Amino acid sequence: METYYYVNIFETKGLEYLLLMAFLVLFVLLVKYLQGPRKLP
Amino acid sequence: MADTRDLGRELRRFGKFLRSEARPRGKLLTPFNVISIPVILLGIGILVVRFTKGLGSVTNLSQEFPWGFWIGFDVVTGVAFAGGAYAITFAVYVMKLEKYHPIVRPAVLSGLLAYVFYAGALVLDLGRPWHIINPIIGNSFGYNSVLFLVSWHFMLYMLAELVEFSPVIAEWAGWRRLRRILGALTVGTVIFGVTLSSLHQSGLGALFLMAKSKIHPLWYSEFIPIFFLVSSIFAGLSMIIVEGTISHRVFKDQIDPAKHHSFEDIILGLGKGAAISLFVYYFFKLLTFIHDRHWKLLTDGWGIWYLVEILGFVLLPCVLFAYGVRNRSVGTVRVAAVMALVGIVLNRLNTSVIAYNWTAAVRYFPSWQEIVVTLMVIFTEIWVFRWIVLRMPVLREAHELPTRRTTAGNPVPSAIA
Repeated sequence: METYYYVNIFETKGLEYLLLMAFLVLFVLLVKYLQGPRKLP
Repeated sequence: MADTRDLGRELRRFGKFLRSEARPRGKLLTPFNVISIPVILLGIGILVVRFTKGLGSVTNLSQEFPWGFWIGFDVVTGVAFAGGAYAITFAVYVMKLEKYHPIVRPAVLSGLLAYVFYAGALVLDLGRPWHIINPIIGNSFGYNSVLFLVSWHFMLYMLAELVEFSPVIAEWAGWRRLRRILGALTVGTVIFGVTLSSLHQSGLGALFLMAKSKIHPLWYSEFIPIFFLVSSIFAGLSMIIVEGTISHRVFKDQIDPAKHHSFEDIILGLGKGAAISLFVYYFFKLLTFIHDRHWKLLTDGWGIWYLVEILGFVLLPCVLFAYGVRNRSVGTVRVAAVMALVGIVLNRLNTSVIAYNWTAAVRYFPSWQEIVVTLMVIFTEIWVFRWIVLRMPVLREAHELPTRRTTAGNPVPSAIA
């Protein structure tokens, strides 16, 4: 028998927002890092 | 009348050509052959017993554990490994990233063979294997079932990959007019194939949505279809890196030496794609972990096992890929690719076998026959891959090679010799 439980979606919202913001910032940094050092003209 | 004569002559030529191609090439007593031939023969023997005496005679499957190693590794993991074909064809034919064109053929071939062998291994695991035809012929369609979707997608995607690979077969056989027609179908087929792939990779994950009470909460999530889809991207890219590295050593005489250097650039490009998809996957996992409030589950053995998978085989390969790409270290990218593949095996086996029915008193462990049959499937796929690569223009370009005349007198590229 499957058990269902109530998930309070607001309980973790603050952390989720922080995580998403960290993801967006780190994603940009990762892409820049993967591009390698900027080449001089 | 003249057309019929031409067709007859062409068929005779092709018959002679096939007979000449069927002859074995190279040494028979290589280390791979010495290991693989006994395993394949033993696997065939086990399959004879399986199909005459039933699943219970060779497997440890039961009513409690109806899905075991054959589903968990051959099908669920194998299909993720085949994801490289749709990722590369999308990059080349839709995004026009021509840099990756040299690896399209080996990627499509390995994808096609993976589907034929690994999805084909599904037949071994069906209690009544003749029922596999039901979703196609309309006997109890079951169109509201995820399995119905997955089975149709597998079948259509295998056909799509066959069409994508068919220009190579036409070049090999010397059918130039047919080659032009098949080549014109490629872009449409790629778009169709990518659509199918994205749906059935996630569909495989959706199969586990109905097993919420059976899968350990650390591996169960409502977003499991998305996890399966995203992870299939880096699984496929990592597989191409590993397979390509091995192919470049084993079949080095097939590749123009000038292209060896460009292959390293390709590996670094694939590593970049794998790093980004691993990063996205890691954050998806973290987000659902926080949303489902699973902190308390990390304190026992299951929690440590979960951390090994996520930190050791998702985050660490992601960091290694990024480091390797940034510092142009092809070796680091290769190590990261192997680790990412191990991570995929762990994740798929955890979801479908290890953390499945985790509360059961009696645990499932695959029998030696299940492991031998899985090895047989892998070895047979490698044999077929090798047979094709040694004969068809997969790693080399057919037009690069001088033409010669066949026994029937028709000029054909020497790639088919």
